[in-house]
Amino acid sequence: MKNLQKILNMVLSKNVFEYILINNALEVTNSSSGIKQYVGKNIQTGDDILEFLPELVGSENEIKGIFSDPLSTYVLESIHKQEYYVNICIEYFDENVALVLFHNITDNTLSSQKILQYSNESMLLGNTLQTILDKQNALVFVTHNNHINYINEQFMEYFDIKNINDLPRKNIIIYKYVDENLESYEALCERLNSKEEYVTINLDTFILKATSIKNTQSLFTLTKVTKLSNEMQRDTLTGAYKKSFFTQSIEKIIANKEDAVVVVIDIDDFKNINDSFGHQVGDIVLKEFTSLVEKNIRDEDIFSRWGGEEFILLLQRTTLENAMKKVERLRQTIESYSFSNIGKMTASFGISLKGDTDDSHSLLQRADKALYKAKEKGKNCIVFKKS
Amino acid sequence: MIRKKILLLGDFSVGKTSLVRRYVDGSFDDKYLTTIGVKISKKLFNIKGEDHEMIIWDVEGSTPSKKISLGYYRGASGAILVGDITRKETIEGLAAHKEVFLSENPDAKFVIAYNKADMLSDMARERITLDSDIFLTSAKNDMNVERLFMKLMEKMLK
Repeated sequence: MKNLQKILNMVLSKNVFEYILINNALEVTNSSSGIKQYVGKNIQTGDDILEFLPELVGSENEIKGIFSDPLSTYVLESIHKQEYYVNICIEYFDENVALVLFHNITDNTLSSQKILQYSNESMLLGNTLQTILDKQNALVFVTHNNHINYINEQFMEYFDIKNINDLPRKNIIIYKYVDENLESYEALCERLNSKEEYVTINLDTFILKATSIKNTQSLFTLTKVTKLSNEMQRDTLTGAYKKSFFTQSIEKIIANKEDAVVVVIDIDDFKNINDSFGHQVGDIVLKEFTSLVEKNIRDEDIFSRWGGEEFILLLQRTTLENAMKKVERLRQTIESYSFSNIGKMTASFGISLKGDTDDSHSLLQRADKALYKAKEKGKNCIVFKKS
Repeated sequence: MIRKKILLLGDFSVGKTSLVRRYVDGSFDDKYLTTIGVKISKKLFNIKGEDHEMIIWDVEGSTPSKKISLGYYRGASGAILVGDITRKETIEGLAAHKEVFLSENPDAKFVIAYNKADMLSDMARERITLDSDIFLTSAKNDMNVERLFMKLMEKMLK
């Protein structure tokens, strides 16, 4: 025992280690003078070690096993005791005595804590930013090396995907929606160059904006403006789409090689209505006429005002036969409807079917010629002009 | 006296230290200070005339790059698995904490705390699915903290 004490006293002189000696009943038999700074009170011979080291509760049998096994040790790391951090190591001395050694690691631990604190706070900040991005109404995604490496919840919801790994499977390549010729997100970022651009995805219109982050990542936001965009495309008097919207739509259909039928509609003898009832009544008739037609077409059909009392109806993804039936029903509906102030009136219809070589101009020209024929035939009828 | 060692386990910054402080000292501090290593607290109480001492190990939170030392798990009779209800990933991570804890202590008991409930609206709180072992807690508002610890003690003494 005396030798052990000598060795320990040498070690203790460096003020880094303190000790308690315990017997196999886990009672204190001796301790160094500096131990009080860790356990908070003076230790007496015969004290229950668990009173001072509750850290050992639950491991009593393991510690008792040390007395019969010289090779076994019990180690606890980074224990916060009073104002200190210590490693506690319990080792065999003989079958009656075990050494409980306290190694003061406070300085190192506090340095590590500063780093850990900084790291954890950075991660919390990252989480907060992600939460903010997830709560945006816009679709948000971040790219790096031409890969999307973050998408927010709105993005996943809109494209009906569960996580970022679903992107390749669904073949969602945003830059291709903007321009088929673009080859990368870097190219998209360069093209946008801090400006906004309208992009159509499915049937929705978005404003796309790109922000470069430290030249290594790009943050893109897609703000859905379908409703607003639609309102901007509407004729202020009648509420029908503007001619420009028809042109955009038919050009997309031609580019995508989809089927379509174009119908030019003209209200018969509208000049007489204006002359007899005045222009105010004429305006009301135009609004009622628009409302009546829109109630009798599909959501995807586009009804636009060409000018005056002339309108264009674009029927998408349909056959000529179905289109003719639909237009005939529309003609009958108009014929039988009683308009405010004026009562009955009719309309004439000219129809063209999109062919492989058509452009928007040729389609419209043919439908317009067909309308001319319908007027010649006596109005209130439908004429189809082949390509 | 019956002594039981319990652990508070969970990801970093979910409020483990705050729960212990609320339960043991009745206090709360909003400031976040990362726990490193482990700090042990004691709580004495009497059940049916018998003294009990709960030895509470407030263990440092795990992070993606730093896992908890398995040495801390030895001899534990129970654990409180703590997640931050405002951080989905910390709730999802509880399953992994439970698995490691039970692999080291197969007979031990556990309860779960969805902490920081004070940050949720009443409506959001109602939407959370709980059971008899899962508590919505707030160390800040002292919500269900006592019930949480007592429930674990009851389970350990059964």
